[in-house]
Amino acid sequence: MKLGVFELTDCGGCALNFLFLYERLFDVLEFYEIEEFHMTTSLEGRHFDVGLVTGTVSSHRDLEVLREARNRSDYLIALGTCATHGCLQASVELPLKEKLKAVYGDEGNPMRALDPKPIVEYVTVDLAIPGCPYDKNELFQALIDIAKGIEPVRPDYPVCLECKLNEYECVLVKKGLPCLGPITLGGCNAACPRSGLGCIGCRGPLPGEVNPAGEFEVLKGLGYDEEYIMRKFKTFARWEP
Amino acid sequence: MIIETREFTRVEGNGKAEIVIEGNEVKDVRVKIVEGPRFFELLTLGRDFWDVPDLEARICAICYLSHSVASVLAIERALGVEVPEETRLLRELGLIGELIESHALHLYLLVAPDLFGYPDAIRLATKHGELVKEGIALKAFGNRIRDLIGGREIHGINVKPGGFGRWPGREELEAIEREAKALLTVAKRAVRLFSGIGEYGGRAELFVATDGYLTGDSLVSNVERNFHYFERIEERPLVYSFAKQSLYNGKPFLVGSLARLLLKAESLTPTAKRLFEENRGRLEAGWVSYNNLAQAIELVYALERAGEIAKTLLDKGFEPENVPVEAGDGEGIGYVEAPRGVLVHHYRIAGGKIEYSNIITPTAFNHAMMEGALLWEARNLYGNAPEDELLRRLEETVRAFDPCISCSVHFVRG
Repeated sequence: MKLGVFELTDCGGCALNFLFLYERLFDVLEFYEIEEFHMTTSLEGRHFDVGLVTGTVSSHRDLEVLREARNRSDYLIALGTCATHGCLQASVELPLKEKLKAVYGDEGNPMRALDPKPIVEYVTVDLAIPGCPYDKNELFQALIDIAKGIEPVRPDYPVCLECKLNEYECVLVKKGLPCLGPITLGGCNAACPRSGLGCIGCRGPLPGEVNPAGEFEVLKGLGYDEEYIMRKFKTFARWEP
Repeated sequence: MIIETREFTRVEGNGKAEIVIEGNEVKDVRVKIVEGPRFFELLTLGRDFWDVPDLEARICAICYLSHSVASVLAIERALGVEVPEETRLLRELGLIGELIESHALHLYLLVAPDLFGYPDAIRLATKHGELVKEGIALKAFGNRIRDLIGGREIHGINVKPGGFGRWPGREELEAIEREAKALLTVAKRAVRLFSGIGEYGGRAELFVATDGYLTGDSLVSNVERNFHYFERIEERPLVYSFAKQSLYNGKPFLVGSLARLLLKAESLTPTAKRLFEENRGRLEAGWVSYNNLAQAIELVYALERAGEIAKTLLDKGFEPENVPVEAGDGEGIGYVEAPRGVLVHHYRIAGGKIEYSNIITPTAFNHAMMEGALLWEARNLYGNAPEDELLRRLEETVRAFDPCISCSVHFVRG
């Protein structure tokens, strides 16, 4: 099968994380041929069985790359929180013109920047894997599943569950740290509570029956002010309590 | 006439170049960073200082820990926090891990295919599997250190003002000491391999680095010592690029491995110092392509230094204790050597909230030099070599800088 990896505007981590599969990268290569992936190869492909897109759409160039990737891929995966929710770079709530002026001065918009948005706002995708960065095991499993004709399993539990399974001390209850674990989609194996720190919500909101309003009240009860909590909620995904 | 390159491959982020030709002569080269703007300084304004290093880490995945550490150092300076020696050593160990991960990625997976004439490391592995596997082993080791100190391979949040969320244990440090020793042979082979690289990209004349090997209180160059970035380095926006350009006393300059070796060779570990001396003449000539050789020598340094740090901490023993940090007012600059060069985080904090933030990344410091190097190559090859060879060489020249394009596109005016 043919694989293409496309990078829009981001930190490069979601493309890099794929290489961090190390030896297991060779297992992926048993099923896939990398046809295009500009961080690692000088080759360019035409048609892809699976396309991975990372980053936000932040310029007209990004939008063109995304449309090409969608048109040329049978199965398209939005990879990482930039692609699925916009992540940090979409969280600055100012009109684009003001942001550009603050950064580049009065030159207008010669490079045709767009307000950073997740790719799912422009095209339909077949699978979304969030995470800043996403868990590389999740991507590995998804690619193997697709190659075998199985629809990948999507996690549907909060970070809290993985924290409990690892028997980490609850940083919210025991230390009073602002932890978004109860309302954040799991799949990272509770990376932040593992370090004794609060979950920062990088995988975005847990869909379905979840209670952000309750989380809001808990944090308020711990003494955090409303603006601080709202900024935390809106940092990686535009969360509405 | 303008010749436009395709978007650079085997580099991090999205960029390309155009070569301006007038009357059969190369007049100018522009490096166009087309990666979209990322607004990181705007994002941090008004934020609680405690949350900021975790957000800044997301500027770059290849060197997230450099951003975390630079951010933490700036915050600690602003709030008057002094951390003990063991905290400093562990942070340095994290930066060493990042250097290993980043240099191994660059040299083995991005540059080595050029040396052997392959489009990528995957195809290279069909003939030179051992070489690619050695690179991957080094990269994985660097990442194990990042995971241990930083909390994750990418974008961990373990490095905090005053100390760490979780401190490493004795067994973990013993494993690092052991593995660093075992991989040293591999790194020494890398130096032999990359000492065969050609001379291209023109010769740099001005070099800038931090005053310590991986962190510092100020900057040094080959013409003066101990200055602050805002005293000498001017940034300007360009209409054709999302990255700004920096000039030192009005001239382009080089940051990164080659600059570090030339300015701070006396700090190297024994084997790295010997390898530097063996190659000194060539490195001092300043060819941009020798940045690759300098990176290979730094791999040796990093492995030796990782072992040294682990041993020091194990011999001395340490208590995992964080220094309390109170929200307050102040201003501070964190200077760090990211794998590809000087990184500056500069904040003003009022009542524990960030009210001014300025970040300059290595690729932004190198941007003007990169254009100079491409201009040199284009003038050298235009009319003397087929166009595809010219374009290939330009791409190799850009690659020698190990640019990190995503990092470079988020400045705010100071």
